[in-house]
Formats: sequence, structure tokens, C-alpha cells
Amino acid sequence: MRDGTLPAALIFAALGFALSFAPSRVRLPALLVALTSALVVLLFRFEEARTEAIYFACWACVILASASVHLPRGIGAKTAMVLALAGGTTAGAVIGLTGSMRDLAVALPAYLVIAPASWLVATGRGIGVKVVSSWLIAIAMLAAALPLTPTPGYAPDHME
Amino acid sequence: MRKSRVSIARPVIGAATLLVGLGCCASPALAHSAEGLSGGFAAGFLHPFQGLDHLLAMVSVGLWGVFLGRPMIAALPVIFPAVMAFGALLAILNVPQPPIELGIALSVFALGAAIAFGYRAPIWLAGSLTAMFGLFHGYAHGAEIPSLADPVAYSTGFVLATGSLHVAGIGLGMANRLPGGTLVIRGAGAAISLCGIYFFAQALSA
Repeated sequence: MRDGTLPAALIFAALGFALSFAPSRVRLPALLVALTSALVVLLFRFEEARTEAIYFACWACVILASASVHLPRGIGAKTAMVLALAGGTTAGAVIGLTGSMRDLAVALPAYLVIAPASWLVATGRGIGVKVVSSWLIAIAMLAAALPLTPTPGYAPDHME
Repeated sequence: MRKSRVSIARPVIGAATLLVGLGCCASPALAHSAEGLSGGFAAGFLHPFQGLDHLLAMVSVGLWGVFLGRPMIAALPVIFPAVMAFGALLAILNVPQPPIELGIALSVFALGAAIAFGYRAPIWLAGSLTAMFGLFHGYAHGAEIPSLADPVAYSTGFVLATGSLHVAGIGLGMANRLPGGTLVIRGAGAAISLCGIYFFAQALSA
């Protein structure tokens, strides 16, 4: 059994880092888009057969959002909204597999990394945000590869 | 002048205290002894701190980054965790095992020596060496990940711990701006290098 809270929290953290490079006027609307899309997706029930695809989409979203901090001209309003929509949707889906609205409330505060990250970007220390974003990419890469093993630790094995 | 010394000294003292504290917590056993597979964020985060070989290598990456200056001071903490994740990926995919212990011992020795001699390697060489070392460390961690009950939390913990150790190394490396600081840092590099030789001997005798 996999917990969807941490993957969703990583999505929101990646979004927070990415949006710290976006204009300040789009940060709150982007958060609202992410939250709304997550809540809407939470209303749906997903088949168990789609679990791996949803987790893969979640890790792809973390990688995309984290990589976007390297865009040479920063993140525009449209890109910010697309990232927020994709992030919110996948976060809602991954929580919807096993969790509840409460798990979304636990994951959402990870977005608050935007506060220190924005300060770093504004004071010319955005490289620190880029470094930490690269760590999120590494985590997502690893997590995305786990289903490639015949029996990952979270799945029942022949003894169960 | 006095003001800048104080502003540099504070983070250096903080980082040094953190490192000494963590060093005291580190068990003498190496990190990948196939123990502690309980999983979870805490287990993953503590993993690099529990083996002196990983601990020294990761702090050394940060220390060396300070000697190399820009852009490598920021690039090394990106390269190492990224390639480490790739190494873990190879382990997850059961790609034949490289000589992990020798590689890790070599990383401790080489990084320590680079700090001791204040070697300002060209960007391509510093990047390649750090990537190669990250591969060994990642393989060592990754071999354990598939067996864990909560591999994502574990991976998150160990990648964040690795990055934090790099940052601690950078913090310690800032001591080279203090009077006599360079000598202390280079001395620490020499000590790390000696530890690498010890790990090398251990790996060969195993």
C-alpha cells in the first residue's frame, strides 16, 4: 500500500519552488487553481488498474515543475497556470487513490516553501532554489523507477 | 572588516557544531551494512549520517565546491544527488554491481586529497569525478530501496540528507575566509583523505 500524501506534498513543494520564479501576481491564483483542481479530482474514484499511471503522472509533474526553475526567462503566467493545473490534478488523483480530503490538507502546506524561495529569488540567491529543486527531480526519478522492480517493498509478495 | 568576519563566523560555527554533533552520532559501521531496512523518511534521512564513509564524502563535496568557487559551488550539490539517484536506479534495475566499496573509499580519498591540496580542477573534471562518485554512493543506497515498505519516503529522506550534507560542507568551507581558515580546511581534507585510505584497506581486506 502506498501513501499518496508524500507524493502530493512533493508536487506542491515543486510547484512552490517553480512559482517563486513567476510574477508575484500569479502566485495566489495559481495556488487556487491547484487547490480547486485537486478538490475536483478528489471527487472521482479511480480504478486500481490505473494506480501506476497516476503515480507516474505525479512524478512526471514533480520533474516538470522542478525543471521549470531553469527556464531562462523565468515562468510566465500561462506556464504557471498550466503547472498549477497539472500539479493540482495529479495531487488530487494520487491522494484519491488511497487517501481523503484530510491528506490533501496535510500535503498542501508544502506549497509554503514559496515564501522563503521567493525571498531567495528576489535577493538574487535563486541558485539555492534551483539546487533544492534538483533534489526533488532526483527523488521523483527514483520513485518513478520503483515499479520497474518485480516486487517493490510496498506491494504484496509471494508470502502474502 | 570586523563586521564581515562576524557575519562569516556565525554560519561557519553553526555548520561546524552541526557536523561535529552529527559525527558523534555516526556509528563506526559503514552505511550499507544491510541493516535498518525499516524504511520511512527518518530511516532514509539518517542513513547517510550512519556511515562515516558516506558522511565524509558528502561533506567533502561541499568543501571542495568552496575551493572551486562559482559555478561549481552550486553545481556540485546538483550533480551529486542527481547522479546518485541514477546510481540508485541502476541498483533498482539490477544492473551488475560495480565495486561499490572500493568506489566509495576512492571517493573519500580523492575528495579529501583535492581539498588538502586546494586543487582547482577544471569544470569538466570536477563534474565528472563528482558524478562518478555519486554513482557509487547511489548504487549502495539503491540496492536497499526496493525491499523497503515505504521506498518513496526513504528516497526523499536520503536525497534531502545528502543535499543537506553538501550544504553543511559549503558552510564549513566558508571558514577559509577566516584567518588561518584555509589551513584548517586543508588539514581536514588531509584527515578525510586518510580516512579514505583506511576505507580502501577495509574494502580490500573484505
